[in-house]
Amino acid sequence: MAIDVKKCVGCSDCVVACQVENNVHHGYCRDWVTETINGTYPQLETEIRSERCNHCDNAPCVRCCPTGASHIADGGIVLVTARKCIGCGACIQSCPYDARYSHPDGHVDKCTFCAHRVEAGQQPACVAVCPTSCMYFGDIDNPYSDISQIMKVRKWKVLAPEAGTRPQIFYLL
Amino acid sequence: MKEELFLSGRMNPNIDPYLNIWHWQIPLYLFLGGLAAGILFFAALYTIRGKAHLMPATVKWATFLVPAALVLGLISLFLDLKHKPFFWQLYTTIRFESPMSWGAWVLMLVTPLSFIWSASYLRETVPSWKWRYRWLESFESWVIKNRPGLSWAMIVLAVILGIYTGILLSAFNARPLWNASILGPLFLVSGLSTGAAVIMWLSKDPAERKLMSKIDLMLIGIELFLIVHLFMGFLASTAVQIDAAGLFLGGQFTLGFWVFVVLLGIIVPGILEIMEIRGYHIPVAVPAILILYGGLLFRFIMVEAGQITRYLY
Repeated sequence: MAIDVKKCVGCSDCVVACQVENNVHHGYCRDWVTETINGTYPQLETEIRSERCNHCDNAPCVRCCPTGASHIADGGIVLVTARKCIGCGACIQSCPYDARYSHPDGHVDKCTFCAHRVEAGQQPACVAVCPTSCMYFGDIDNPYSDISQIMKVRKWKVLAPEAGTRPQIFYLL
Repeated sequence: MKEELFLSGRMNPNIDPYLNIWHWQIPLYLFLGGLAAGILFFAALYTIRGKAHLMPATVKWATFLVPAALVLGLISLFLDLKHKPFFWQLYTTIRFESPMSWGAWVLMLVTPLSFIWSASYLRETVPSWKWRYRWLESFESWVIKNRPGLSWAMIVLAVILGIYTGILLSAFNARPLWNASILGPLFLVSGLSTGAAVIMWLSKDPAERKLMSKIDLMLIGIELFLIVHLFMGFLASTAVQIDAAGLFLGGQFTLGFWVFVVLLGIIVPGILEIMEIRGYHIPVAVPAILILYGGLLFRFIMVEAGQITRYLY
């Protein structure tokens, strides 16, 4: 997924869409919007980012999971099988993005990239609902996909690359 | 100036404002696991060296505490799980990359072994004890005959158990305070030190007590060396690890760690042990209790502080 920070206005529609689509428990969220302000007044620079699980290529949560509940599904989405999860919290400790939380039912929960929608050929809820169309979702290995095309022409960054997790959410600068 | 804020107001329970997903259960288990590993290590070591008859507290009395410590530790680990009915999923797979999987399997092996080991000394300790079934008696004589062989298994498992309590934490690269490879050896040495303290406390034989006191003193020295190296490593590392060390060097854990763990829980009992060896009369319970208390508090502080440290972007 690529997110254009120049287009994002921080409306938090993606957060609400996720909560509605995935029936996220009250008081919890799988995605959130962060604002970073850099500089000294009056020279201030603002960056607004919609953040969620980075579906890392080298996912520490998958590595640490003692039961294999956290796994990388076909296509690269990091998922949790609730029936295999024992709620030990190892994956929560291992995530540099704090993207996971303990579901009130006990198992660990997180962004699934709306795997149920993606399998049906739809976009994740957050992408579909974004009023500024600042998010691009697709197969990064396919050079003709929208996301590959835009990443070719734009500068981008990932969050905390020094954590070594090879995150798969790219912020277009 | 750099300011970060959540526009959409993220407040996931136990995740925000700072991570606090592990409570008292994990540090208590790390302490009990380390203690059990320490006692089993010395019991196995002196059995292998053929000095079991000289060290009754080491190979016999202290090992009665191990099954209790491990069962309590397992209970506290179970209490920590948030999806309890599914705990058996741990034993449906072996995942070499996951320290927790290693730990679960080692506990599965070492807990029954510790029961068998102490049970084989039961008749020697309580002469009136009688096994209800014949096969238990023959199993007991088999265990007694094979103690040196079992010791080899036990010493290996004890080292894995002790070192795993530290590696469990150091495997989490997202928590800079834990992400130091020296944590494994540090927790092992600390666990051995608490084990030696218990043996020293239980021992009635002056020679055995003095030997364990000397061993403990050596372990205290290694522990201090490793703690200094832990912080040297942090300060020479990346910004996130310098920040993590800052919690202990002027931050909120400074007093708790340096005064109540390092001074009262490591240095003071070390000095008392030196005085004991030099011939002063020190009640053995004092250094032993201080070491146990230091080991317990050390784990509580490391778990609590580690969860606060994170990557900032």
